[in-house]
Amino acid sequence: MRTLVFCCLLALNVLYAAGASAAGRTVSGTVISAEDNEPLVGASVIVTSDQLKKAGSSQESLGVLTDIDGKFTIAVPAGVKELKCSYVGYTAKTVTLSADKDKYTIIMESSSTMLKDVVVTGYQVIERRKLTASISKVGVDDEMRGAVMNVDQILAGQVAGLSAVQNTGTPGAPMKIRIRGTASLSGTQDPLWVIDGVPMNGTDVPAMEELKDIDNIYQSSVAGLNPADIESITVLKDAAATAIYGTRAANGVIVITTKNGKAGKAEVNFSTRLSFSPKPSIDRLNLLTASEKVDLELDLLQSDYTYRENKGGVSRILQNAGMFDAYKAGGWNALSPDVQAQINSLRAINTDWNDILFRSTFNQEYNFSVSGGNDKATYYTSVGFYDENGNVPGVNINRFNAVLKTSYRLSSRLKVGASLFANRRKSNSYLTDSDGFTNPVYYSRRANPYQLPYDENGNYIYDIDIQGREDSDLKFNVFEERENTDYTQESMGVTALFDVNLRINDSFKASTQLGFQLDHSDVQSYAHAETYAMRKEFERTTLASLGGVSFLPDGGRHMQNRSTNKQINWKAQVEYGSTFSRVHDVEAMLGTEIRKTWYDYFSSTAYGYDKKTLTSKPVLFPNESWARQYSLHSESYAENAYASFYGTASYSLMHRYTIGTSIRFDGSDLFGVDKKYRFLPLYSFSGLWRASEEPFLREVSAINNLGFRVSYGIQGNIDKSTSSYVMGYYNNISILPGMTEDVIVLGTPPNRRLRWEKTRTLNAGADMSVLDNAISFSLDYYHRKGSDLIALKMLPLETGFSSTSVNWASMRNQGVELALSTRNISTKDFTWTTNFNIAYNENTVLQETVPSNQTTPSREGHPVNSIFAYKTAGLDDEGYPLFLNKDGEAVTAAELLKLNGAGASMLSAEEQRNMYSYIGSGDPLITGGFINTFKYKQFDLSLNFAFNLLMYSRVTPSYSNTIFDRGMNTNRDILNRWTPSNSSSTLPALLVEGKRQSEYVQYSEFSLYSMMDTWVKRSDHVRLQNIRLGYNIPKQWLSRIGVKNAVVAFEARNLLVFGCNYDNYLDPETMGNQFAQPIPKSYTFSLNVGF
Amino acid sequence: MRKNTISTILLGLLVLMSSCDSFLDIKPVGKVIPTTADEFRALIAEAYATVSDDRGLASFRSDEMLMDGTMAANDLNSYKDIWIWNDYAASENTATFKWRQFYHVLFIANYVIESESMIENGTSEEIRQMVGEAYMLRAYMHFILVNLHAPAYTKCDPAATKAVPLKLDSDTENTLSRNTVAEVYASILDDLESAEDYLNVDSWETGLNYRFTTLSVDAIRSRVCLYMGDWSGAYKAAQSVLAVKSELADVAKMLPSDYRSVESIVSLEEVMSAQYARAMKVAPAFFKMYGTGDLRKNKYYKQITASKVDLLKGGSNQYSCTVRVGEMYLNAAEAALQGGTENGLDEARTQLLTLQQARYNASAYAAKMKSVNEMTSEDLLQEIYDERARELAFEGHRWFDLRRTTQPRIVKTFKGEEYVLEEGDERYTIRIPAEAIEANPNLAN
Repeated sequence: MRTLVFCCLLALNVLYAAGASAAGRTVSGTVISAEDNEPLVGASVIVTSDQLKKAGSSQESLGVLTDIDGKFTIAVPAGVKELKCSYVGYTAKTVTLSADKDKYTIIMESSSTMLKDVVVTGYQVIERRKLTASISKVGVDDEMRGAVMNVDQILAGQVAGLSAVQNTGTPGAPMKIRIRGTASLSGTQDPLWVIDGVPMNGTDVPAMEELKDIDNIYQSSVAGLNPADIESITVLKDAAATAIYGTRAANGVIVITTKNGKAGKAEVNFSTRLSFSPKPSIDRLNLLTASEKVDLELDLLQSDYTYRENKGGVSRILQNAGMFDAYKAGGWNALSPDVQAQINSLRAINTDWNDILFRSTFNQEYNFSVSGGNDKATYYTSVGFYDENGNVPGVNINRFNAVLKTSYRLSSRLKVGASLFANRRKSNSYLTDSDGFTNPVYYSRRANPYQLPYDENGNYIYDIDIQGREDSDLKFNVFEERENTDYTQESMGVTALFDVNLRINDSFKASTQLGFQLDHSDVQSYAHAETYAMRKEFERTTLASLGGVSFLPDGGRHMQNRSTNKQINWKAQVEYGSTFSRVHDVEAMLGTEIRKTWYDYFSSTAYGYDKKTLTSKPVLFPNESWARQYSLHSESYAENAYASFYGTASYSLMHRYTIGTSIRFDGSDLFGVDKKYRFLPLYSFSGLWRASEEPFLREVSAINNLGFRVSYGIQGNIDKSTSSYVMGYYNNISILPGMTEDVIVLGTPPNRRLRWEKTRTLNAGADMSVLDNAISFSLDYYHRKGSDLIALKMLPLETGFSSTSVNWASMRNQGVELALSTRNISTKDFTWTTNFNIAYNENTVLQETVPSNQTTPSREGHPVNSIFAYKTAGLDDEGYPLFLNKDGEAVTAAELLKLNGAGASMLSAEEQRNMYSYIGSGDPLITGGFINTFKYKQFDLSLNFAFNLLMYSRVTPSYSNTIFDRGMNTNRDILNRWTPSNSSSTLPALLVEGKRQSEYVQYSEFSLYSMMDTWVKRSDHVRLQNIRLGYNIPKQWLSRIGVKNAVVAFEARNLLVFGCNYDNYLDPETMGNQFAQPIPKSYTFSLNVGF
Repeated sequence: MRKNTISTILLGLLVLMSSCDSFLDIKPVGKVIPTTADEFRALIAEAYATVSDDRGLASFRSDEMLMDGTMAANDLNSYKDIWIWNDYAASENTATFKWRQFYHVLFIANYVIESESMIENGTSEEIRQMVGEAYMLRAYMHFILVNLHAPAYTKCDPAATKAVPLKLDSDTENTLSRNTVAEVYASILDDLESAEDYLNVDSWETGLNYRFTTLSVDAIRSRVCLYMGDWSGAYKAAQSVLAVKSELADVAKMLPSDYRSVESIVSLEEVMSAQYARAMKVAPAFFKMYGTGDLRKNKYYKQITASKVDLLKGGSNQYSCTVRVGEMYLNAAEAALQGGTENGLDEARTQLLTLQQARYNASAYAAKMKSVNEMTSEDLLQEIYDERARELAFEGHRWFDLRRTTQPRIVKTFKGEEYVLEEGDERYTIRIPAEAIEANPNLAN
């Protein structure tokens, strides 16, 4: 084979050299790449026709191609002074020939145009000119990285078709990333992350609900990566690109390439970022002031609204004075001056919970790296430290990173590389409990403005209003909880990669890569006996049979959870690539990949714990039932294996026409699933026409590049948790004392009809750059159709189960993406460039099987994340909401839903479905980013906007119209509710039990109230993500102190957001979640120095 | 050369492919598809373990319990609205009746019944016994459901009154509608007959006596018939149990509801779970029903002060009890008196006194005997009801008994405020939980 190719090359050489004049001389040399010192095979070395003319040669053209070692020999006519060397992806280079030198080493620099020349897919390095797939590449430099902790935060607004939404402002919280909308509904919707070729484990982001607690400082394994170590990020979007990653790639792939050492002098780099994040303001929430709250309570006590009448400061004063009934009967004037004074004194308190529960913070980050090497070996070493303090005191997170990367060239054919990424993350917080009010974000919104945290002696004042209906003797104070509880999470992540690349000959390459990933997390939580958390535990375990004491020993509680995720990934592949007759380019690859993952979890709880002595006391359970409820130990273990085979092939003709295909078989361990589902085939076809290479366009100098791509692929997925059999897992239990038996617990119902979920993707795109690359754009259209999609559906409880996975729908995502980058002004001192990307994604459910028990409407013809609501028509003359029925009449809830006496609708499920109206999509239809960079002499300024448009959010109702708890604070909407004296209001009245009973029950127990269109808001927004001003310190100043380059910059993040009306909410992004932390503003000073 | 390379690669891939199957054959820790008799036994054990303690939760609605302001907020939040029958504006933290759990048991029971011929590695007795137990579970779950969530058989027109959906197969795709009270009871009686046919174990060793036995069929049947007002059926069934097992426990030594007691027929439900037991006190008026000389007074309860009485028979699975001998005497007495047998009045006196003899000390019994023998039919019926309340207190019977008999007016007081359940109040039927209606709107009709 090798001989064959060599012969071809030789033949070409001969062909080229045929007309060489004997009067000339022979010049030889090597062409190598500056990037890795590798020889460039097939680079063309030519004498331009100009030169030939000048030299007076009769030849029209003269040139040779380099051989497998990058060597060339060319006979040039006398008088030729220059050779021109070119290679795709590299800047053409002209070499001046000197008379006394016949040997030259030509070092080619990779070209730095907007369209990068090779694309790393994780499996292959594909030349841009042969790229048939839809792929976006983002180079990560210090400038664009900004002051962020995690890689995912970098991506917001950078890539067309990738939406990154921040759900909460908690330090280190992951972003919700979607590539081209929502593809699948079962399982994860997160993209697959790949680091230097190895797919990562544990990158799924949990649902928004779970992120709301501060002690749920959830981090995906992506958070272990230091953005400063990243060279570039490639986002794979269509089937042609992702098919090779198999089933896990259904939601797109994000490929991270980390920095490498480069041959040459050692480079030392130091950077630091110091950020200040001011105390967030919750003014936007429009909470009641003390005076307003007191008025509200007084007002409610005189009304017929009796829900939780005993709660609230006013009610308590009245009860203590025994004037509760007097007030109800006679009002304010019936109160004694003393009681009036007490109530008025509440007005004067006005505790600013936001002010005392939150803080301004200072965050720091330091990175240090050394890299370099020679032609035999390169290295890259870095360490990084990141420390972020949450705006909630006591909450912080830090990360320590180290990277060691080395690469050795053992021979001209064999290259070996080893990398080690290690990180340790530690976060501190305190305990929040299931009631949620220990969460400062929740508490700051719910605590009464007249509540004081401390008395004059500095002792805790306990809040008894926030604890639900009954007055309880459990004492709660948010500051005490913060003081006396701890919650720490320590995570360690190690990823080791080892790869071997063997160049068998010119055409064949073999490579193998072994990756090992270990993520270990240790969560410890501690509660002192003097906390609400423990008091509650004691209260719940106090038994009359024990003489009214708790069976839990005195002291605190210590819980520890440990989990370990391990993964081994091994792949081996053979690549073939060859060019025949200069016009036929063939590439092929075959490979196999196996992966095994292990997960174990262990949890232990100790009571009677003393933090000083680290000792605990035994728990003497009164009986087995209690022991079962207070499990002191639990563990679990899971193991999974995957094996895959894959191949790709591509053929290019004359560098103009390329067709490609890829196929992959994914196998995984499936238990209780038919073996025919074991291997899933996935494949794609694709084509590319590079019009700019056509003779008729090559002459048009304005067009630098023009190409058209098309691809089609199919992917499949099967739900592993559902079996067609009745399947369960073993547990054991004592039904009667002293006898323990095995039981088989059934998790999901059997489903004999579950089929594969299939996704077909069509992508068509065009890339163009014109006017010396001043304007480049990529335009993509895609059409992705998922059929037999699997989703969890609610079952009638009479099946014995709550939900099951079913093939329920087919769905289409189609959209257009445009990425445009322009160089608007380019002068010697001033440049202005713009990157603009915009994507329109339209998601439509094409067909949906609506279970006969479903009462929410079918989404056929609407987006999967549709927001449906009951159309309201104002209020009736008692302040009850009125609804628009299908005939356009305003009717009450009872009439609309035909409520029975118990408040349930007597309409059939289908009739209930028809009562809803479609409002809009919960996902933005348009997403994108707009980045402007200005450079003036040593200054640069960039502004980065990201936007999400045409979306709706369902917000939590400002107050419940049936179970509004007057003991807690709320926003000012309650003041504007309908009352007989405020009958023009559009906000519902507080309803009274017993009056219009069926409607009351419907509102309090069913979802009607929260499903009213009153609680759906448009949430379009544009966010100024960051603005950065940098200054490159002039080299002449630096050279004196031995510094190569230095940049100082100021950056501000999240300064502004423009959106539709989001009154009563902190950010448009978090409108659905009242208790999310605000997205923090920050101001950063950064310094980056290279030696 | 190229051919060679490619064929080598292909060969290599083939070898890998075949070795893959074993690489991928991972048996997940603890996961199982039941096929053998042992595995089916474990599956039925799960069904037994899933049987809910809703009879205990329903007891909050009867007159047995007291709640007051001294109780933990958490308990008040969970149970107070059930206690005061506040069904229409219950606090959002109120405990819910476990509708799905009943149907989960039914799913397993139906699956076992359907799998009879596919169970491997078991003797036919063993397999038939399991299927029989599945029929018993099916009958008993429907029986509790219909009594929780439908009007009492004796207080409505059973053929025209909607009850709960009958679930008689393991299908998970259809959406069911409510069957009538009569249909549900007919199915329960059918299942009891099938169970009788299949069951072959007379008794289980202590610790496994949560399982149904041949004897349990008539024991449950006697209760079902009693609830239907089928007096002769109830009497006959109770008699056939008593013919085999009639010994009454010595209350001084062991509570009759203890799972080790001689009275145990089926010791399945932990009616007064640990949670319920700690969340309530014994209602003083109820406690007053126990007179002097009643041996149960100091064994069932511990009186702390005049108004504070703690419950001893609960809070642990030691007191798990579904059906026991004591109830059989009461069923027989009531059924006999109501015409279940000839010479019913005398027979009722005999049955009642047999039980009372074991529950009162000698002098109190002598007094009882005298008064019982002098009672009119009406008075005797009341005495049987009262003895039933005393004997089966906190075993999950009281609420059901009130429902099926007189549905009296009950008044409860909490912090000075009075709550009333009127005579024959519609709240004698517990609403089907909202979450069940949300998942199946047919249940609202």
